[in-house]
Amino acid sequence: MDMKQHCVKLSVQPSRGLVDEKFTVLVQNLLPGFQLTIHALHQCEDGHSWEAFAHYTANATSIVNVSQDPSLGGTYSGVEPMGLLWSLRPVPGSKTGLRLRKMNVQTPMGVTISVYQGHQKEGFLDQVLLASVVVERWYMAPGVRRVPITEGRLTATLFLPSGPGPFPGLLDLWGWGGKLVEYRAALLASHGIASMALDYLTPKETGRMVDNDYFETAYRVLEQHPQILGSRIAMLGLSFGAGVTLRMAVYSKGLKLSCAVCINGSHVQPIDGPLEQIMTYFNKNVEKTRFDEDNQLICRDLMLPIPTDPSLKVDVGRLQCPLLLVVGEDDQNWPTYESAMDMREMMERAGNSHLLTVLSYKNAGHLIQPPFTPFTRASTFKSVTIPPFTMMALWGGELVAHSRAQEDAWRKTLVFLRENLYGDMKPGALFSNL
Amino acid sequence: MLHCTEEPGMYSAHCGIIIMNFCHLQHKAQVPGGVHWTSSCRPAPLLTASPVCALIDDKISIRGHFLPPRCPVTVCAQMQSDDGDLWEAFAHFNTNLDGTVNLTRDPSVGGSYLGCEPMGLLWGLQPAPGAREGLRLRKKKVETPYVMLMSLLKGHVSPSERPSTELAAVTAERWYMAPGVRRIEIRQKGVVGTLFLPPGPGPFPAMLDLWGMGGGLVEYRSALFASRGYASFSLAYIGHKDLPGPQNRINVGDPYFKSAFQLLQDHPQVYPDRIGIIGLSFGVYLTLRLANHSDIKPSCLICINGPAGSTIKLRDADDRTEQMENDQKYWTYDDQGNVSFRAVSLPANLSPESKVKLEHLTCPLMYIVGEDDLSASSIENANLIEETLSATGKSQLFTRLSYPGAGHLIEPPYTPNSRVSLWSVKPQKLATLWGGHLAPHAAAQEDSWKKILEFMETNLRH
Repeated sequence: MDMKQHCVKLSVQPSRGLVDEKFTVLVQNLLPGFQLTIHALHQCEDGHSWEAFAHYTANATSIVNVSQDPSLGGTYSGVEPMGLLWSLRPVPGSKTGLRLRKMNVQTPMGVTISVYQGHQKEGFLDQVLLASVVVERWYMAPGVRRVPITEGRLTATLFLPSGPGPFPGLLDLWGWGGKLVEYRAALLASHGIASMALDYLTPKETGRMVDNDYFETAYRVLEQHPQILGSRIAMLGLSFGAGVTLRMAVYSKGLKLSCAVCINGSHVQPIDGPLEQIMTYFNKNVEKTRFDEDNQLICRDLMLPIPTDPSLKVDVGRLQCPLLLVVGEDDQNWPTYESAMDMREMMERAGNSHLLTVLSYKNAGHLIQPPFTPFTRASTFKSVTIPPFTMMALWGGELVAHSRAQEDAWRKTLVFLRENLYGDMKPGALFSNL
Repeated sequence: MLHCTEEPGMYSAHCGIIIMNFCHLQHKAQVPGGVHWTSSCRPAPLLTASPVCALIDDKISIRGHFLPPRCPVTVCAQMQSDDGDLWEAFAHFNTNLDGTVNLTRDPSVGGSYLGCEPMGLLWGLQPAPGAREGLRLRKKKVETPYVMLMSLLKGHVSPSERPSTELAAVTAERWYMAPGVRRIEIRQKGVVGTLFLPPGPGPFPAMLDLWGMGGGLVEYRSALFASRGYASFSLAYIGHKDLPGPQNRINVGDPYFKSAFQLLQDHPQVYPDRIGIIGLSFGVYLTLRLANHSDIKPSCLICINGPAGSTIKLRDADDRTEQMENDQKYWTYDDQGNVSFRAVSLPANLSPESKVKLEHLTCPLMYIVGEDDLSASSIENANLIEETLSATGKSQLFTRLSYPGAGHLIEPPYTPNSRVSLWSVKPQKLATLWGGHLAPHAAAQEDSWKKILEFMETNLRH
């Protein structure tokens, strides 16, 4: 059955949106029973191409609505409104170990969504293209301001929401990879939280790792900002950043956090001495790392078993602010699940477990990111240790479960942050447009 | 998108966004102990808009959160036109028991509009106090968005009481062009226009887009059609520097309009047998005249508030255009001295030989009437066209949409109507009456646009 291009109508609504907004992909004026492939293509900043595709068959209504109709195969199957984004993967022939990350948040992620005739699996450039639209996905909402921070020795970028404020503030930390990664902070600012992305690992002139005072300086910059409410500052960390967050939340006199969010991290670290000691501690246990059959590095055993020695764990029993733990149960990089269970036990014993919320996701891996971020089970990773090393790190997780976890965790993280930062609200008042 | 990179506390002029409140930033008093002078320990409430980057004809949902229950608030919208004029609208609400306000659910109890009107802050925009007289909101640069700053104010106040009562704000963008739409300037075979192509391989069904005697090149409706999947060609025929002759006269005739249609047909990304024509005001006459040629076969015609004939004569071949008739004798004035051109296009006043012979029509024709049109005799011309078609057994081709309270300028939705504006009638600008009352005109724009797109869908895609 041949389809005339003039008939087929492809629309994606909205065609411009924030990266965590859902869209509706609609293909209309098809003939009943017509087979088509919907294809998504994105070229990322480093030049690699990522694609996703799904097979549909038009029913009697001659419409395919990705939010309502099942994919019969492709990079995802079943009814998946946003599958065209989270199932994006490097195109055939790409080099291995790629990971999709937007470093320049002032431009959008452009995705071309196309309709091809038939159920296609490959060679899309040679197929009959029926229709195509371009979609822009933004980390920064209009009016959000990006402010590079140069105070102290900080390497940081502050994102301020639109409006007069005052806004609650947030310190945003990533993990071992270092570099200033801005996209999560930009997105949080798009939701009303003044957020500072903080790089604390890229080696500085001193040649030494930063210590507590670095984070205290960052906190002070937020606290003293004319548009930020000093009494409502949170901290959010992923991976090693989660450990730093716990350390600061419990031990730092200079930080008074309204709440903390830890994604796939651990409280296991030597608490005496400077932050650098943590590196030494990990190096000592490095023989516990192992490789799987694909030669991918599994680091989770480095910190196992969870020590009983209190000098090797952040004493979360002393935590005085609400804590949200996001756990990918299949995290192969950090022992997130075991750490979360141990933290819960410590807090129950200390009597402050009412502060703890654990979101635990079966088959989700280490890199729990904003929703619809393409899933990466393993990728090339270059650490900032001295000497640095590059390896193929196994993050873990399974495509569908991990993608669901990202969506659910982000929604609940925003609710948690708003509950604690905007405060005094009844649950019905909390807003979710996700 | 316009984003600022700036030092905290400074305002970066290149952003092009008026964010007046930043000039009134509350600077911290360096009080010992770091207590803020605002003394509040709670962040400001939140104002959200979704989608935050929408097309002009998309609805947006505006909501306020984290407010006290049952308290008066004002939501206010401000937008700067391409000419730098400030337009604003505001509405008064009382928050819900849960401390929210939701413009999709809640009625305005005062301000630019009343009642529950999700898009009222957009079509209710008016020139801000102190603005120039006789303004009309029209986007000249379609490649950039309108940037709307929406604010949540404490109490039932007017926008001039920002920033003292401002609680929260959000910026939204409103676009005529979707991502991937291509804008192509056309200066070919004497034809002057702008072509908009949708993203994708094509070929596409297309529209020829004609406006009125205001002249120049009006691109925004075409840009929006392309954003909805149709190639669209905005054509200039008067008042453009690239057209021949003096700018205050029409110096082109039938061959020009035929060339434009053929140019569209010949374009590799346009389906030659799926082209419609849309005309507003004098553009209606041009639409009907063009469709009347036996070798021009449009798939459909859309006529908005315009005449089926003319008081001026267009060039047929090499003749010079006749001087414009002195139709000032048909002009009327209201008690404020605003001029209405309505009577000029009364069928009785149109030159008989100019009235288009509709009996040759072969495609569906939709005629849209603003019943309060003070610039053209739309009702009478609609009647004339309907009668003519009926008489030749073609009434099944005719569809009429008629909107009480709507004026002459029925345009894409969610843009404000100007009942009167300063309009160029050489040698001077006149305060020209277009008609239309705010709310019914807005409703007409919303409904007619939906029906225009459906009409195009039926006739250009199937």
